[in-house]
Amino acid sequence: MGEAYVITSGKGGVGKTTTSANIGAALALQGKKVCMLDTDIGLRNLDVVMGLENRIIYDLVDVAEGRCRVQQALIKDKRFDCLHLIPAAQTKDKSAVSPEQMKEIIDSLREDYDFILIDCPAGIEQGYKNAVAGADHAIVVTTPDTAAVRDADRIVGLLEQEGITPPRLVINRVRQHLSDSGEMLDVDDVTSTLAIDLLGVIVDEDDVLKAAHKGEPIAMNPNSRASIGYRNIARRMMGESVPLMSLEEKKGFFSKMKKLFGMKA
Amino acid sequence: MEQSSGSQYITIKGTKQGLTIFLDDQCDFNELMKGLEEKISNEQQLVNDGPKVAVKVNAGYRYIKEEQERDIAKVLSKTATIEMKELESYVMTKEEAKRIREEASITSFSSIVRSGQVLRAKGDIVLLGDINPGGTVEATGDIYVLGALKGIARAGIDGKKDAVICASIMRPKQLSISDKYYHAPERHEQQEDLLSEPLYAYYEQEKDEILFEKMKVLTYYTSRRDKKTADVK
Repeated sequence: MGEAYVITSGKGGVGKTTTSANIGAALALQGKKVCMLDTDIGLRNLDVVMGLENRIIYDLVDVAEGRCRVQQALIKDKRFDCLHLIPAAQTKDKSAVSPEQMKEIIDSLREDYDFILIDCPAGIEQGYKNAVAGADHAIVVTTPDTAAVRDADRIVGLLEQEGITPPRLVINRVRQHLSDSGEMLDVDDVTSTLAIDLLGVIVDEDDVLKAAHKGEPIAMNPNSRASIGYRNIARRMMGESVPLMSLEEKKGFFSKMKKLFGMKA
Repeated sequence: MEQSSGSQYITIKGTKQGLTIFLDDQCDFNELMKGLEEKISNEQQLVNDGPKVAVKVNAGYRYIKEEQERDIAKVLSKTATIEMKELESYVMTKEEAKRIREEASITSFSSIVRSGQVLRAKGDIVLLGDINPGGTVEATGDIYVLGALKGIARAGIDGKKDAVICASIMRPKQLSISDKYYHAPERHEQQEDLLSEPLYAYYEQEKDEILFEKMKVLTYYTSRRDKKTADVK
């Protein structure tokens, strides 16, 4: 039976879709069967980030309204053994599906996949409610800035009322030199405010943007540190215990690691 | 003889604390008021001479409604010297009793108050956890945070001016005690980091603002406050 993860953040532009695409790719690289679901109806772009936009015929709304079977809407990514995508509709809006329909669709996918990743739209309205409806677990994505952390905190509060497992945190676009100099929040500041388990940290790299431009998830590139971050997240989701990658090989690294593990415990 | 039948409901006694007028609690209220008027017209030399005296009125086991209290005060104010300072009664309504009990209660919560969440309670609140930026805690009494106060805390929301807000880590965005507000300096302004140890916030009447003090002085503040409330009673 597959487990459904919703990837959410509250705030827009922190990298939910990029994170969804890369976690999906990293899990698929580990040989897992993965299905990704874009619930950002009206503003879909998971298909673009994955480079699969040209092959869309049916979408999530078509499935919800019974115009096609789930299998017809699945887009298979040929670069992986089993990475499938159900795109969102571009012409409708968030009210085109209901939480009950979402739950039904996700339940119908559980049998065939190990992981179902639900890419949540920004905001806390209908789109968020749809995305969370069928999920068992939640991953909260934030960037180390005050506004994103505030919204992540709000989302964590809402998720805690949902009857799913406690959400886990991905801190995206970390720029070590800025947080070292105290000009930006660092990983510790974020985790101590949100007080949830840290699932992974992704460093800010130009390669992530370049890869998204090419429609090729960065997780496929084994030489990038962002990619290793995503691969580590995937392994942690599979139950492995992977130490946090050092953000910068500098003095004080061990003490920082210790602090981070203190938060995880 | 008829005269005394009305004024027998009223007894005036002098005690150490001053003059107290005892009202009979068994008779009809209208009779009582008539009696009161008779009594003060009979005791001209007591009520119309000398300096102004504030008296206590004791209604015994009679529940006095607000308008009845006003009536009593009006009758007494007809005299030149007597002024009602306080009306005392041994009974109160269920609502009032409930309110008093709620206000005297301490409710403890163990959670993180996150952005967008509001935690509200009557009486005092003890929070085992943080108040994150964007989160709010409201109490009619005091607020004690065993954690970091990084959001908003409102104490004494029903007007209790001597409520306090305590926190292990005091970094609030905003505080209010009764109708007085404090807000932290904007982020782009220079922020002095005096708030890194356990502190309590209280309302200072003379300066008319919310001030912070180290936790060890709190006992002094609360004991003074408790004494003040005892005096009023």
